[in-house]
Amino acid sequence: MENSIVKLRGYKDGLHLIINPKVSLAEVEAAIQELLDGMNQPLAGTSIHIDMRPSPLSSEDLKNLETHLTENYDLVVSGVNIFDEKDESPILAAPATHSISQSLTNDTQPDFEQSQIVRQMIRSGQTKSCLTGSVIVYGDVNPGGEVVAAGDIIVLGALRGSAHAGANGRLSSVIIAMELVPLQLQIGSYVNRPPIGQKPRGYPEIARVGAEDIIIVEEFIKF
Amino acid sequence: MGKVIVITSGKGGVGKTTSTANLGTALAMIGRKVVIIDADVGLRNLDVVMGLESRVVYTSMDVIEKRCDLDKALVKDRRVEDLMLLAASQRNRKDDIKPEQMQEICEKLKQEYDFVLIDSPAGIEQGFHNAAAGADEAIVITTPDVSAIRDADRIIGLLQHQRIESINLVLNRLSPALVKKGNMISKDDVLDHLNIDLLGVVPEDTGVIASTNRGVPLVHNDGSPGAGAYMRIARRMTGQRIPIPEMQEENFFSNLLNWFSRNK
Repeated sequence: MENSIVKLRGYKDGLHLIINPKVSLAEVEAAIQELLDGMNQPLAGTSIHIDMRPSPLSSEDLKNLETHLTENYDLVVSGVNIFDEKDESPILAAPATHSISQSLTNDTQPDFEQSQIVRQMIRSGQTKSCLTGSVIVYGDVNPGGEVVAAGDIIVLGALRGSAHAGANGRLSSVIIAMELVPLQLQIGSYVNRPPIGQKPRGYPEIARVGAEDIIIVEEFIKF
Repeated sequence: MGKVIVITSGKGGVGKTTSTANLGTALAMIGRKVVIIDADVGLRNLDVVMGLESRVVYTSMDVIEKRCDLDKALVKDRRVEDLMLLAASQRNRKDDIKPEQMQEICEKLKQEYDFVLIDSPAGIEQGFHNAAAGADEAIVITTPDVSAIRDADRIIGLLQHQRIESINLVLNRLSPALVKKGNMISKDDVLDHLNIDLLGVVPEDTGVIASTNRGVPLVHNDGSPGAGAYMRIARRMTGQRIPIPEMQEENFFSNLLNWFSRNK
């Protein structure tokens, strides 16, 4: 997926779209299209930064590019960084300590009108994704199955697969399951997995981002 | 009108072909008209397991390409009445057949036979889709190990997606002694995980190897534990209500007891 005009890189503070300066807006747009169409995971709803060196793109071009990304790909542009030629690469310029960017701390309540209820179990290879709200599953999520939601994930059964709550960056999202023995949990940009050989504990559990920026799991009693 | 049942698993080597051969033979032994179809085009081996390799003249590919009639391509079993085999072509590849063509063959066969069993190839690609295309029901075979269960789970999802409503499970190669020691996943854990109806449990039976090599399905060998399990499954397929026995750990005494009860 290497592309000489635009590159997509993940850093601590999120995804960065790195643009090669010496090209026109049309070429950049074509390259973005090629890059995003080639991905099998849609990025809709993700927030990204644009990194570039001083370039022939005018600030108007840049505005156009931002609207293009928002309208056509449903991406949220959370910042534009312009680096001097002297700077080696954005990776050095990226903040050393991790910071939650503005759009992440802005705890926008997802639209729960558009939450989804899944009335069957989710088996290996099946994905349920709801980027507008929360997901409730009436059944198990088996290993190899995946649930992705902008809001919370509630599994009224065993969660044995993967779950990604707060997929748009809402860190207050939680994952609740009657039996929480997942392969992997993600809330916003945090990932965690249970220790190897974790047995079901026999009571419902809730996973959320704790004070130390790690996903913690505890007995679910009430919100 | 008969039923078309696809026998599938996702993972290879869990006993799809063995189960197809045995269930087909068992159903014919209890008086049903049965056709078994090898859908593993390019790697056929149902005919070998059935001991009919030398009798195969035409294959499903010949029927599809209209080189012979469907009736003419069916090979009659050596031992049981009313058991037919439709062999797969060895020269072709899985994508040479289209799902609609399989569907057409199944439609024709179920007019005349009670059961049409399709031996699906491993995997979830074209071969599996061809095998499942004409099916009304499915039997998913799994062994009690994590990778087979994972693949069975995946295949159940795909079958449900194809709107096959009746999907039943056969748990193959269960060894009660290993379950008791905690070294094998138990029947209940598998069922809890896959959440579909259990059609039967086939115990680990070393007799399978010899019977496969000789080309005589296990069910012809009355006393073996595997044969009993397959016969019970076949009866359940015809609608009889036969409980699934809890498996006993095999030891010297239980073997002795079995021997006595068999020779009464």
